[in-house]
Amino acid sequence: MSSQMYLIIAVIFLIEFILFIYYFTQRVYNGHIPKLRQIKGFEQIKGVTGQSIETGRPLHLSLGVGGLGNETTADTLAGISVLDYLAEKAAITGVSPTVSMTDPMAMLYAQNVLRTAHANDYDLAEAAYRHIRWIAPQPTAYAAGVMNLLAIDDAQANVMVGNFGDEYLLMGEVAARRKVTHVGGTSNPNTLPFIYVSADETLLGEEIYAAGAYLRERPSHIGSLVAQDSMRWIIVLVIFAGILFSSL
Amino acid sequence: MIIRVGRVVATVVAIVSGLFVLTDLFVAQWSGELFGIAGLRHTIEVVGLLLVSWAAIIVAFALLLGLVNVISVHANRIRTKQSGAVYSGVLLISLLLTLLIGMDGPMSTNTQFLFNYILYPLESTFSALLALFIATAAFRAFRIRDMESSFFVLFAIIVLLGQLPIGIYLWDELPVIKDWIMTVPTMAGVRGILLGVALGTIATGIRILIGTDRPYAD
Repeated sequence: MSSQMYLIIAVIFLIEFILFIYYFTQRVYNGHIPKLRQIKGFEQIKGVTGQSIETGRPLHLSLGVGGLGNETTADTLAGISVLDYLAEKAAITGVSPTVSMTDPMAMLYAQNVLRTAHANDYDLAEAAYRHIRWIAPQPTAYAAGVMNLLAIDDAQANVMVGNFGDEYLLMGEVAARRKVTHVGGTSNPNTLPFIYVSADETLLGEEIYAAGAYLRERPSHIGSLVAQDSMRWIIVLVIFAGILFSSL
Repeated sequence: MIIRVGRVVATVVAIVSGLFVLTDLFVAQWSGELFGIAGLRHTIEVVGLLLVSWAAIIVAFALLLGLVNVISVHANRIRTKQSGAVYSGVLLISLLLTLLIGMDGPMSTNTQFLFNYILYPLESTFSALLALFIATAAFRAFRIRDMESSFFVLFAIIVLLGQLPIGIYLWDELPVIKDWIMTVPTMAGVRGILLGVALGTIATGIRILIGTDRPYAD
């Protein structure tokens, strides 16, 4: 098959995906809400938000070592979806999460999320701003900063959703040793074992992209989850068809 | 119905910019003229490149704001005498010193000294801690709690022994089983995760591209 044919297939795939997302989002808007399977990681995030409010101790959210504008953008946006939920709760309760990241663009985005959530309370918005921490652009330096942050700030819980490499374990272990409730998630398969051994609950791969659907129940996110599942079935069928075609 | 003009403009700019960069990505792979229109390909490539270069400039400005964030957070920590304020002081002094030394340029002898003899060794030392952390994490993970963790422990022991030279002396089939675990079930799992991640990434991009997610317009 020529490279142009691959390109045409990619465009068709993309258009089909767009149509699916649009169709399923409209269905959700019309009241056809699918039943989502339970993901313990998101249940845990909801739980620790309540605990953080009760104890008055902050919750630490890490957006990872990824950024906006490169191949890790989707992972960072997944972390920001979690922040979106936490910011909404913070606007009601006044207990803002401490948010850390390596990318300054993600920092601006996180500030915007908190500003939007605290739109009605200037003082609370200003206080929340101080909880956004751009630590360092290098992953190792960032890990050192987060380890320090978890120890000094006496965090109630640690939620780490985004793109991470090996440095995850440095941060995850500190949380585990301090017996802090810890939820972690990344799309990097090489980092997932580190999360599995250090976190209480793990968000595996694509589960992190479902944050908007599970935590905020946004119709576009729920619709896109159904579209993803539909596309997955199509890919599986194509793989089976390919196996049959090449075997016969 | 109230239509917020700013939000509409932001959405239109974001969608058009996104479409241009996406089209540029496809056009770069396409050989020959586009729809038989001379110069269309060149125009898309130039606009795409321009948008990406603008993004690079914005990132550079964001880095400055990041610096402001670091200074304000740590200055506030010192001002309010919070625990660990001493470390914040050390951080701010180091930051100022690095800035002063860096005035000579990134290739100057002093800056190179700073990187080669302070920053890189510190990073390497810190990364070396990973070995210790892996050991403590493994110790905790190897406690059998349920069916899932028993499988985890079983596979970990097989792979560990299969990887070590001693494994072959214990049972010569161990390296073979280890290879099978790594190439069949592990690879299948990784591919499944990667497929889901790819679909999730595309879906996230599409939601922004079609304007159902508008983080820039909140």
